[in-house]
Amino acid sequence: MIEDTHVGLAHGNGGRLMRALIDEVFARHLADPALDTNADAVSIALPDGEIVVTTDGFTVQPLSFPGGDIGALAVHGTVNDLAVSGARPLYLTLAALIEEGLEISFLDRIVASLAAASRAAGVRVVAGDTKVVPRGQGGGLYLALTGIGVRPVDRRLGLGTIGTGDAVLVSGPVGDHGIAVMLAREAFGLSGDVESDAASVLPLTEAAGAVAGLRFMRDPTRGGLATVAHEIATGTGKIVELDEAAIPIRGTTRSVCDMLGYDPFYLACEGRVVAVVAPESAEAVLASWRALPQGGEAAIVGRIGGAADEGFARVVLRTRIGGARNLPELESDPLPRIC
Amino acid sequence: MSVAADTEARTWLDRIRALPAGPSVAIMNVCGGHERSLSMLGLRAILPGHVRIIPGPGCPVCVCPEEDLADAITLAMTGDVTLVAFGDMLRVPINAPKGEIASLAAARAAGADVRPIASPQEAVAIARAAPARPVVFFVAGFETTTAPVAAMLAEGVPDNISLLLAARLTWPAVAMLLEAEDNALDALVAPGHVATVMGAEEWRFVAELHRLPVAVAGFSAESLLAAIYSVLRQKQEGMAFLDNCYPELVRPQGNPTARHLLDEVMEVTDAAWRGIGIIPRSGFALRGPWREYDARLRHPVTAPPRRRQGEMPPGCDCARVVLGKVQPDQCRLYGRACTPHRPVGPCMVSDEGACHIWWQAGVRPH
Repeated sequence: MIEDTHVGLAHGNGGRLMRALIDEVFARHLADPALDTNADAVSIALPDGEIVVTTDGFTVQPLSFPGGDIGALAVHGTVNDLAVSGARPLYLTLAALIEEGLEISFLDRIVASLAAASRAAGVRVVAGDTKVVPRGQGGGLYLALTGIGVRPVDRRLGLGTIGTGDAVLVSGPVGDHGIAVMLAREAFGLSGDVESDAASVLPLTEAAGAVAGLRFMRDPTRGGLATVAHEIATGTGKIVELDEAAIPIRGTTRSVCDMLGYDPFYLACEGRVVAVVAPESAEAVLASWRALPQGGEAAIVGRIGGAADEGFARVVLRTRIGGARNLPELESDPLPRIC
Repeated sequence: MSVAADTEARTWLDRIRALPAGPSVAIMNVCGGHERSLSMLGLRAILPGHVRIIPGPGCPVCVCPEEDLADAITLAMTGDVTLVAFGDMLRVPINAPKGEIASLAAARAAGADVRPIASPQEAVAIARAAPARPVVFFVAGFETTTAPVAAMLAEGVPDNISLLLAARLTWPAVAMLLEAEDNALDALVAPGHVATVMGAEEWRFVAELHRLPVAVAGFSAESLLAAIYSVLRQKQEGMAFLDNCYPELVRPQGNPTARHLLDEVMEVTDAAWRGIGIIPRSGFALRGPWREYDARLRHPVTAPPRRRQGEMPPGCDCARVVLGKVQPDQCRLYGRACTPHRPVGPCMVSDEGACHIWWQAGVRPH
């Protein structure tokens, strides 16, 4: 039984209070037969296929924002990294670094949200750790997750498979997560109806994965669409051409960007997929995405051009009125700590 | 940004392309906002090859005298005042010896009370919040900034606020360029924001005195392209007149209230432009009774003499970029020694500086 309303240093000292916090907050929500809170390590069963592992830290401020919170975001962020690599996510581990003074009822809500997101994505949290850091030495709550998934051995995705003429697709409007977190954090005197797009992209990646001709997928998180385009340009040595008029952006996101001088192409998404697809398969992937609730606004936004000049990765933006300019590599993140 | 506006922009573009190709035409714009729109729209890539759009003196931060900035830094470092300035100004470097404070941002990091603001109202609010603390408002800007500052004074400000003025007029710099013997400009796109305050008529001298086509433009693709079409068409037909392609906001005489307040509070003086020198009747000074708000009288502090005082940093082509003599990417430092992350000259700092805009629009060194 937890008697306290706020997390104290004693909740991280290995004793009775820590046991209570783990049992009544973490284990209660995450309830999983494989999650043995008394064991130092657990064994897991994996189906056939290539084992894929990822790890990710989450430091978003504020901890809760329109459309999500750090708990769900951590699951989605980790699951999505596995999903875009073509894998089916299966297991997660969770390390929670809690700042002394965090309200236990708030922590409870975050863990409940994390558990709900895991169940929805079909992944199980099978190992965990909690630490409490002194007041002033943490941002309320940091989460670190490791994800394990399995990829069909015949699913060969990667930058090396991309060729000139391939289509570039995005699964929905870009920049919503960045703007939602920014509006929740900054006192700009702005309020908008933008919600974070944070979600598991697994339905999208599974749908695309079923289409032959899928070459590469990435979730455009920090640095946004432009940064994924640069990764592709750098990794392939080819020019990536994006069509401004085709890139879906919500009206509110665009207005806030115009007002504050942000470029939506560089703002983070947490529930979108950028895919490179063979030209003859582009319409099939697009149709499969549009049939999903989270892919209704999916679009073909560009193509892979010819080889760039040596040593110079290029992303060329065809502007709304037909002009052209380079979309440069991100200099500095305008919105730090959005994930 | 509507589909209708895009269609209108494409129509102007088609008209421009339908004009017969002639000898090279050099069109200058004198507004950072115009340069930003043109660059972000990627317009240079789709205009006919003989049309050159040249960024001119459109960045007040870029021409702010180095001495004024040094004085502001010195004043802030005394610790006796709160110094407020528009955000752009904080990172502009002066020619300080290595290891010494070279910008307002560095002064702030060293403990000086320097605060970035976005509007004159913020300066007043900071002064009101601490009535016993002197607040110095370092004002670098063109008419669009200076008019609201004049209005701020006319409306009444707390006694503890004073102004370090480095405000400039736009048209005298253009006049100087057009009067120069080596002038190679063929037409001017006149600044929409400045004209909103001062009126389109202020630019008539370009057509009447210098016989060059001139059009006032707004910031949308369609307004900019309409203005470019106007001056190209004028040039082609051997005409030169003042066209207003931003009639939604720009009146012939501008904003009478703003001009009246500007005239009441400020007088026009000869003024120095960084790296360029004195341009006659191109600066503002506080008039008569308003001089009691002059920070130079209240806090007479002058920076110690420095090497290259008043000049651009060594190797930096900012002054020639401001005058449209070289393109940003023709400067040897552009994108190499000088980037927005580590700017050498003011044009790479300010959001209105041509170097910063070109960098953001993806122009990289050859």
